[in-house]
Amino acid sequence: MTAPPAPGDRAALFQCMVLMRRFEEEVLRVARDHPYVGRQHLHIGHEATGAGVVSALSPDDLFHTNHRNHGYLIARGADPGRALAEIMGRKDGLNGGRGGPWHLCDRSAGFQSTSAMVGGSVGLAVGAGFGLKTQGSKAISVTHFGDGTLDEGICYEALNLASLLALPVLFLCENNAKEGQRPSSMLAAKVLHDVPDALQIRSLVVDGPDADAVAAPAAYEDDHIRDGSGPVFLQADLERWPGSHQTKPEFPTGVTDLTLAWEEDRIQGPHAEWVRDHDGLRAYAKKLVADGTLSEDQVLEIDRDVLAGIEEARAFAEASPYPDPSGLLDNVFA
Amino acid sequence: MTRKTYAEALIDALVEFAGEEKKFAIIGRGILGHGAQAHLVEPLMEKFGDRVTDPPTSEGAVASLGIGAAMAGTRIFAHFGTASFTMEAVNQIIHEAGVAHSMSGGQIKVPIVFHMFHGLRRGGSGQHSLSPQSMFANNPGLHLMMPTTPGDVKGMLRTALKSDTPTLFIDHAALLGTEGEVPDGPFEIPLGEAAIRREGDDVTIVATSRAVHWAEAAADQLAGDGIDAEVVDPRSVVPLDTETILKSIRKTGRLVCVEEGYQMCSIGSEIAALAAEQVFKSLKAPVARVARPPAPVPFSPPLEEAMMPGPGKIVAAVKAVMA
Ligand SMILES: Cc1ncc(C[n+]2csc(CCOP(=O)(O)OP(=O)(O)O)c2C)c(N)n1
Ligand SMILES: [Mg+2]
Repeated sequence: MTAPPAPGDRAALFQCMVLMRRFEEEVLRVARDHPYVGRQHLHIGHEATGAGVVSALSPDDLFHTNHRNHGYLIARGADPGRALAEIMGRKDGLNGGRGGPWHLCDRSAGFQSTSAMVGGSVGLAVGAGFGLKTQGSKAISVTHFGDGTLDEGICYEALNLASLLALPVLFLCENNAKEGQRPSSMLAAKVLHDVPDALQIRSLVVDGPDADAVAAPAAYEDDHIRDGSGPVFLQADLERWPGSHQTKPEFPTGVTDLTLAWEEDRIQGPHAEWVRDHDGLRAYAKKLVADGTLSEDQVLEIDRDVLAGIEEARAFAEASPYPDPSGLLDNVFA
Repeated sequence: MTRKTYAEALIDALVEFAGEEKKFAIIGRGILGHGAQAHLVEPLMEKFGDRVTDPPTSEGAVASLGIGAAMAGTRIFAHFGTASFTMEAVNQIIHEAGVAHSMSGGQIKVPIVFHMFHGLRRGGSGQHSLSPQSMFANNPGLHLMMPTTPGDVKGMLRTALKSDTPTLFIDHAALLGTEGEVPDGPFEIPLGEAAIRREGDDVTIVATSRAVHWAEAAADQLAGDGIDAEVVDPRSVVPLDTETILKSIRKTGRLVCVEEGYQMCSIGSEIAALAAEQVFKSLKAPVARVARPPAPVPFSPPLEEAMMPGPGKIVAAVKAVMA
């Protein structure tokens, strides 16, 4: 278990992003090698947003995630081996094989719900905010969801309640609706944050692939939420990774090559534009090398360490047996 | 007759109906799911794409859109994808569509078909594997149909589309690729008419949807052991063809009910109760039900497998009632 990056530690933030990326790449390999794991909603291209927000928050805060959940679990310190084992439906998986890839849950890392019902996490996060407030807790409730989630009626009811009750909730909207493929939302509102604005919820827009740009306001708004001033809606604009809705396990943009951070003329292929302009991981590597935070060698060393950890995680998951069907009715009632 | 896939037959019914009924609209995309048959929706899109509305992810509003339009006189086929998603629309389906005709003293009609894919689908886990048929059947004012073969889906869908009663049309994605003989041109399979899938004298197996195929496989296996099973497919759950079912039980004296839903208050529970009420004296053995164990559907393949009321479990249940 790796601790989430501390606020302001940009090298740790980068390492966390590399871990998120390499984990998802391994999930694609797992899906290729074990077709039963099925369709995956990967967090590739969202790392800067996910890690940025995670770094700004406290370990006590409660998270509510959706079908695109893996990155958040890993960033907050869930064990990659047990996460992969869950994705493979194994006994040592985070959920004992009950949840699978769309429902990774690790309460010890602050995850309450990983709902694959679009909108499910938003309603529950408001409830958690209510719970925390009634307990007088200093922790806050966080939910991440996509632009398409605002298609669902529950969001309007939940946002309204959060505003009326001034609940300590961070609504993190990963807006990857951009054209190119079928947009993931169909909203009459042209600007997503018009929705929370109308409900008197403080909103702000950040550039999703820019880790620093996400981490800074996330930390700042965190104070607003934590001092009882009510919820915040953080809209992170992202460009959808070309493989994000794939039904077959494939790497449309290729396995990540971090040397492309400083050898840009080698960026090629049908999705070169995404890699060059929208991949927050590559952009952050480039930025940290340029401003002297990390050397090229340090970047590659971080990557090698992460990859070694992922290899171990995969071996752990592969070695884990399937759960025994005799336990089918375990935990149905608490 | 033409040999076709279930998916093609379903689309045929929509194309034929759209060709003759101008006041007809389809709400929803991915009518054939995301699998190998998804593209077979093309003939519908080519001819009647202008009748198809692609809605946002808003199941509750989609149900209301369809119900309100149906009340106003447009026949509606509303597709919800995975049956789990209809849980966002339960209030509209039960409290609006289901009650409108009666509560208005017969003034209002709601000609809508709610289409969905139920059941275990491999990897659907606890939120994408719902079989809501018995919970819907538990409410008044809604017809409920569950076709099993390509011929049936075509004839039953036409019946549902022409009906003035709201109809839950509950499909199983695993059936989409199955093939069979389909009558050419429009035809209707009446509501409340069961099909005897296989005749037999020793035991009646009543199964719905995909479980009919499991029951047939079990019957083949049982035949090898000298047990002659009759397989009855109600096809419509509401209204239910009690006559055919009870006649079969009178003949065999034994009843095994099979379905993909949970056992508590299931379709099998209803049929077992009917048997107890109406043909108790014909029963030679206690009734058996084969259904899902009462756990949320787990992701792990061997656990999901253990949820399935497949042929092995049906054979075991039949042998128990034959003992
Ligand atoms: C209630 C419900 N309806 C439909 C779906 C099917 N579905 C799964 S993901 C998804 C799109 C969600 O879009 P968005 O919230 O923008 O997330 P993204 O996948 O783009 O990150 C849909 C419609 C679902 N899971 N739950
Ligand atoms: Mg989206």
